[in-house]
Parts: sequence; C-alpha cells; structure tokens
Amino acid sequence: MTATPNDYLLRVENITKKYGANTVLRDVSFDIGKSEVVGLLGDNGAGKSTLVKILSGVVPMTSGGYYWDGAKQTAVNRTVTEQLGVETIFQDSALVPQMSISRNIFMGREITNKFGFMKVKQMDEIATEILDTVVTIEGIKSSRQLVASLSGGQAQAVAIARAVHFKSSLLILDEPTSALAVRATEALLSYLRQLKTEGISSVLVTHNLHHAYQVCDRHIVMNHGKKILDTRREDTSVEELTAAVVEGAVGLKRFRDGTF
Amino acid sequence: MTDTKNNDQPPILDVPLATEAIRQVRPDKPKGLVATALDNLQYVRGRGALEIGIIFFLLLVAFSVTSVVAGNQFPFLSQQNLSAVISQSIPVLALLGIAAGILMIAGEFDLSLGANLGFSAIVFIRVSESFGWGFGIPAAIASAMGIALINGLIVVLTRIPSFIATLGMGFFWTGASIFVNGTTAAILTEGKGKDATLVALFAGDYGFFRSQLVWLLIIGLLAWAFLHRHRRGNHIFAVGGNEAAAKAISINPVKVKLMAFAIFGALVGVVSILVAVRTSSMQPGTTGDFTLMAIAAAVVGGCSLNGGRGSVIGMIIGAALIQLVQNGLILGRAPGFYIQLFVGLIIVIAAIFNKLMEGKAS
Repeated sequence: MTATPNDYLLRVENITKKYGANTVLRDVSFDIGKSEVVGLLGDNGAGKSTLVKILSGVVPMTSGGYYWDGAKQTAVNRTVTEQLGVETIFQDSALVPQMSISRNIFMGREITNKFGFMKVKQMDEIATEILDTVVTIEGIKSSRQLVASLSGGQAQAVAIARAVHFKSSLLILDEPTSALAVRATEALLSYLRQLKTEGISSVLVTHNLHHAYQVCDRHIVMNHGKKILDTRREDTSVEELTAAVVEGAVGLKRFRDGTF
Repeated sequence: MTDTKNNDQPPILDVPLATEAIRQVRPDKPKGLVATALDNLQYVRGRGALEIGIIFFLLLVAFSVTSVVAGNQFPFLSQQNLSAVISQSIPVLALLGIAAGILMIAGEFDLSLGANLGFSAIVFIRVSESFGWGFGIPAAIASAMGIALINGLIVVLTRIPSFIATLGMGFFWTGASIFVNGTTAAILTEGKGKDATLVALFAGDYGFFRSQLVWLLIIGLLAWAFLHRHRRGNHIFAVGGNEAAAKAISINPVKVKLMAFAIFGALVGVVSILVAVRTSSMQPGTTGDFTLMAIAAAVVGGCSLNGGRGSVIGMIIGAALIQLVQNGLILGRAPGFYIQLFVGLIIVIAAIFNKLMEGKAS
C-alpha cells in the first residue's frame, strides 16, 4: 500500500496477534483519518479489546506495521504512543478511585520542581481550570475531591478532560457509554463531535451500534479476529452494521443478498 | 435507557464552553478561611486519618487528666513514663508502621518484617563487634534492604501473592538468623561494638524524650515529603490504587513496587539498629511480633488493605494509639492478657471502619 503521508493519522497494516497457539487478530489493516471519528464494532470476543491495547501500545503485536503520520514506528510501546499523542480511556480503569481528581489528571505527568517534588497547589489550580473549561462537569465541588466520590459519567468526563488537556491527537474510548446514564451518554457523544472540530481523532469502541452510528464518520466491524467491514457512514445503515456484528461475514453476505 | 430518575438533572457532561463564558456563569469567588479549612478537613478525612486522630487526641486528653487528678495511681505524665513509652516504644512501632504502610499503599505486604528486623539487628551487632558501628550501620541497612528486595523480586517476577511469598521468606530468615548466630543472643558489648556516641545517637535518654523520637520526627517528615509530595510517591498511590490505570499512563508497576520494597527495607534496617542499640542484644527468633504490630499500626492509621490509600500521619497516629492503649492498660495494672485483648479489638474495629470508609470515601 502506498499512501501520501498526510491523508491519515494512524495506519495499521496486517496486524496479527497470537497468544501461544491462539490467534486473536488476523491481518487487520485500516487507517484512521485526521479529525475522524471511527467506530470499532464487534461482538464480545471479536478482538476489539486486543486491538485497542495494541493501538495504545499496552500490548505488543506479533506482527504488522504501525504508521503514524506517514512514519513507520519500529517499536510500539506505551512510551512511544504517549509521545505520539495516543490516549486510551479504558473501561473502568482509566482513573485511580482513591486519588483526587487533580492527582489523577496529573498522574505520571506531575508538575514538579527539579528534584521531583510536586507543585501541588499549581496542579490543583490547573485541574480546577480544566474541570471548568475543557469539559464542563456538573456537580464537582473541588479538584481535590476523590474520584471514588464521582458518578460514572463524571469520572469518564475527567478521563476525557485529562486526554484533551495533554493534547492527545488520537483518543481511544473503550466502551465509554456502557456505564453511563442516557443523558451522560448523549453529552459524551456530542462531545466526541466537538473534539473532531478541534482536530482530535477518536476511536469509539462499543457494541452499541446506535451510539456508534450517531457520531462516527466511519465504521470498522470486527469478527473472530478479522476485519469484515470498513465503511463510511454514508455507505452503510444501522441494519447492515447489525447484520455484520451479529452474524459476521455470513450475515453481511445475507444482508447484501437481501435475505437477512 | 435504564436511568429515568436523573432526567431532570443538568447534563453531567456538556460541550466545552469558552473560559470567559464560564466565568460569567460561575464567577470566581474567593474562598473564605472557613471554606478552605473545611476543604482541608475533607481531604484529611478522605485519607482515613481524621477519625483516628480524634480518637487518639481524646484518649491522650483523658489519660493526661487522669494523671493530673490521680498521679499516684496513674503516673502517665511522669517523666519516666513519657521517656519510656511516648518516646521509645511509639517511634519504633511508628517507623515500622510507616514501612508496612508504604508497602500496603503499593498494594503489597511483607510478613517477613519481624524476621528481617531480627536478622538485620544480628548483622548490625556482629559487624559492629568486628569492625565498629561505623560499618555496622550500613551493613544492617543493606541487609534489611536486600532481604526486602529479594521479597519484592519474588513477588513481582512470579506474581505469587506477597502474603505467601513473604510468609515463607519470614520463616527462612528466622531460620537463617539462628543458622548464622546460633541459639544464643548476639550481644553488643560496651567498648567494642558500642560506645557513648552510638548510644547518644540511637538510644539517648534526654529526660522527657529519647533520641528515637528525633528519628521518628526526621524520618516521618522525609516519608511524608516523599509519599505525599514527590512524584515517585504519587506513583506508589497510583499503582496500589489501580495498576491498570497506572500502566495505561506509562507508569511501570514493577519498578514502583520494587521501590516500595526497598524503602520498606531501609526503614526496617533503621529500626533494627534502634532496637539493637537500646537492648544491646538480639535473641534470634524473638522479633516475630513486630510484623503484625506494624501492619496493625498501618491499618489503624487508615491504610487500605487493598492498597492505594493511607497517609504517613495516619500510620504514626495508628502506632501511637496502639502503644498508648497498651501503656494505659499497664499503668492501670490490668492483667497482661488484657493488652492482647484490647489491641486485637482495636485492629479489627479499625479494619471494619476502613472498609466502611472505602465505600463512601471523599
């Protein structure tokens, strides 16, 4: 494949992941465009989670290529992806509940003096600023409040605020809506559209097709470790996506034959 | 879909507004003194040190008042008692509590603490006897750190729960101290391993306080600065609280846990010197009680058994509370078994209390 460097942000080519004799991902290739919202869909066990972990550098791939803005990345680990600006918000595990909001926002990226001591006051102030401006989160009294005292939606929003504050260029959200109330979900989805206008690409990993269809520019459907569908929003329908997610390649064929 | 009762509330998450727009909706109002104080109080409470601090303070007042009213029956405020209890036994347990507490925050335990303490004290005494205490001190600290790091490596590399790994290693090092020293006590003799300077440094009696208290103040302050103000200390909280989240933000849990074990070892080494110098001897296999007392001090002080929560001030108060209750029972001439009874009860109540606190932490 040849591509001009600037028409996509991230391209992965033929990603394969094996756990021992078990192949979880088989030759998966796709692009994520700049300022694009991509939906990564599939049933449980389709390989979504593994793919997300590979994209974010937490888990190494067995083989395959990882291209960022046209440049091939030889070693893909968390340090590299963090420098590239990939921020992943894992379901339930983005924040440390026993730590304050401010400590969570600056976790691993503390503002310190040259001896490594944290400038706590400055961190608290900036965190308050982030809560007030980057995402408006209702019902939070102080940035020193513990994350354990927040609702699912508020915690989710804090995680996103952190990603935005540290100038991520690619935001990966793993099942962000599964723990949210209806209103919080709507707000989150509209917020993803907003990020797009600020030049941030995002990948929405979900098995809720309706949420994905609402906001994503493009949909990638995974089934048994393979990519079976990669389509722009205009070219597909909720029905086609449903067929692909529920019954895989067979369902997709039947949908196109009109027998689904 | 499931939540209908929240529908009349404002949206939790909304599209971002410009800073200026928000300023108009929510003008910056300066916080008053009272509000700041309340904010700070909530902060302390969230870390589990507030309630235990109040209980400690009340008990201290009660003991002091009793001592003033009936000094003969309850000589709590006597110089002898203050020097022996407050500034000798509290610092030793508090330092061990800090050691165990830091490790607990990282999500690990070390049940070989007592064995490590005994072995390192023997190392201190034997090296001091042969080469002088100038060599004994680094040898003891190196021994304690080494033992703790071996535990750390076993736990981190094999992912065996630290309970089991360190329980086994505890037996090993108890055996090792008898192997090295024989069943008789190692003695620190005047003039050879011990001199006036060493005693003044580690067990000096200065009327109302002893040098152990100075050590607690210095190390307590350092531990606080490290754990609550240094980025590496912050990483210990992160790893103990949610390892996956820490990993996702590129904190290396293996490094952080090994660091916690190393700090634990260094503190145990310091305490082994304090104990060895004060008693001038160490009988192998007699330090097992320290293990659970140290963990108890940390738990009473608000450390979470699941990791991620705790404070240095809490660990110190936890140790102080346990020793204060013991002291009160001894002064009140309670039979010996009362002490175990009460200390045991405090620990269980504190653990239950911690559990309840974790549910509604703020």
